Amino acid sequence: MSKITDRYAIVGVGESERSKNSGVTPLHLALDAAKAAISDAGLAAKDIDGFMSYNENDSCTSHQLATNLGVRPKYVKDILGGGSSTELLIADAISLIESGELNTVLIFRSMNGRSGSRMGGGGWDSNMLQQNIDGGSYIIPYGAASPGQWFGLFATRHMYETGITQEHLGHVCVSFYEYAQRNPKAFFHGKPLTIDDYLNTPHLSYPFTKHDFCLESDEANAIIVTTAERARDCKQKPVYVMGMSSRQCHPHSHYWSDLSQVASDYVAPEVYRSAGVKPEDIDVASIYDCFSWVVLRQLEAFGFAPRGEVGDFVAEGNLRIDGKLPTNTAGGMLSEGYTHGMNNVLEIVRQLRHQYGATDRQVNNCEIGISTGWAGPDIAGAMILRN
Amino acid sequence: MTYQKPIPLKNIDNAPYWDAADHHELKLQKCSDCSNYNHPPGPGCAKCGSTNLTWENFGGDVEGKVYSYIISYRPFLPGFQNDIPLVIAQVELDNVKDVRIIANIIDCEAKEVEIGKTVKMVWEDITDDRALPQWKIIE
Ligand SMILES: [Zn+2]
Repeated sequence: MSKITDRYAIVGVGESERSKNSGVTPLHLALDAAKAAISDAGLAAKDIDGFMSYNENDSCTSHQLATNLGVRPKYVKDILGGGSSTELLIADAISLIESGELNTVLIFRSMNGRSGSRMGGGGWDSNMLQQNIDGGSYIIPYGAASPGQWFGLFATRHMYETGITQEHLGHVCVSFYEYAQRNPKAFFHGKPLTIDDYLNTPHLSYPFTKHDFCLESDEANAIIVTTAERARDCKQKPVYVMGMSSRQCHPHSHYWSDLSQVASDYVAPEVYRSAGVKPEDIDVASIYDCFSWVVLRQLEAFGFAPRGEVGDFVAEGNLRIDGKLPTNTAGGMLSEGYTHGMNNVLEIVRQLRHQYGATDRQVNNCEIGISTGWAGPDIAGAMILRN
Repeated sequence: MTYQKPIPLKNIDNAPYWDAADHHELKLQKCSDCSNYNHPPGPGCAKCGSTNLTWENFGGDVEGKVYSYIISYRPFLPGFQNDIPLVIAQVELDNVKDVRIIANIIDCEAKEVEIGKTVKMVWEDITDDRALPQWKIIE
């Protein structure tokens, strides 16, 4: 266990409306999400003294959000980043509270991910991409400009080495789409996917079909973190942070040298040590799912199935609500919505609170959950939570 | 017709690689302290941090094996509309095992591509003075 184990908690979560075209700016979405999280926690805006967010130059600032909540914050921070930024900022918030500088921190991600700046949408200036991406001149002239292509190189090799098949990728998608059918707010609610449908879908970028890519949505999410002591006065059952390994790296040059390792491999032992638990203690998971394969690779990294057996693990239905590791139970980024991971964290908090009660959405008796973040094969993080 | 696809931009770190490519040769950055190759090149060695770096010329006869690949059925950048399906491969070099070079496999059907296939480096003359290394299946 670590020094912070069980001493900090997530006390509020909230989201804006989710759509394909919000018709408003990210600031409006952020304000809706922040108010929902503050209300969920039973706090007032003035109780929040730190505001943090992550963005890809596609959002509003923490300062703007605080101003529009009528609050003068003691601390604001906006970082450039995507996957694993939620875990990173929660760790930063805990550090600042631990140091005595802050009491309660609100972390948000707000984006018009569908109607505004689209991750997978193209339209980027090629020279800008070459200059801004590490090793850009070695990929952009070859037409490799999307994460689906970059991660695809890892996926093809990993599938070749471990026997993961197209059908195994399909089982990840089918499992998550099944959750979306129980979640009326999920983008793909009412659009179920069978394994036959999946296998009949053409490749968009081999080995990925459109189902293997995360979706794009306009939405904002917010999370409130404070001390365990203050959490006891909040409205909801606190969800405690047991352990973290908030962001680890693997050299970027591995795109040209080593496809066998990913940053998650370094995160896993640290997060379990920090929380003082093992993979078999985890009841529910939020596994970063920008692509179906990324889930399979992380299941291996985090020890949920041995290398070579991960495909069978998902084919046996273990990601489903009655499986060994119910995962991305609101549908994940493949079928619910996409805020670079934060929507999956909101869901695991609700599961650990047992907020879905006796409905078919609640994972029975879940006590401990893991949330993983993946910015790429070279940057990843994770945290373990409990109720 | 002028070349529509992105042209590799030279900078302080990669210029020797692309200058060599323009002459249809492969040059790789190498660390003088730990003897590892450093690709993509940079001011410091990714293996040991040394800034004592030199360049080694492998000439114009470069072969390797397909280590991994993807096949893109949609152009993600302007200029690639006529190259679909586009094969992007990572190739393990026969004489430098710890460096793999990403390029397109040209003049091949998507279904021909497999991990382990032998390829050789060829250079496409994309403008009057620029050339782009590519892979071609030779067996
Ligand atoms: Zn070195």
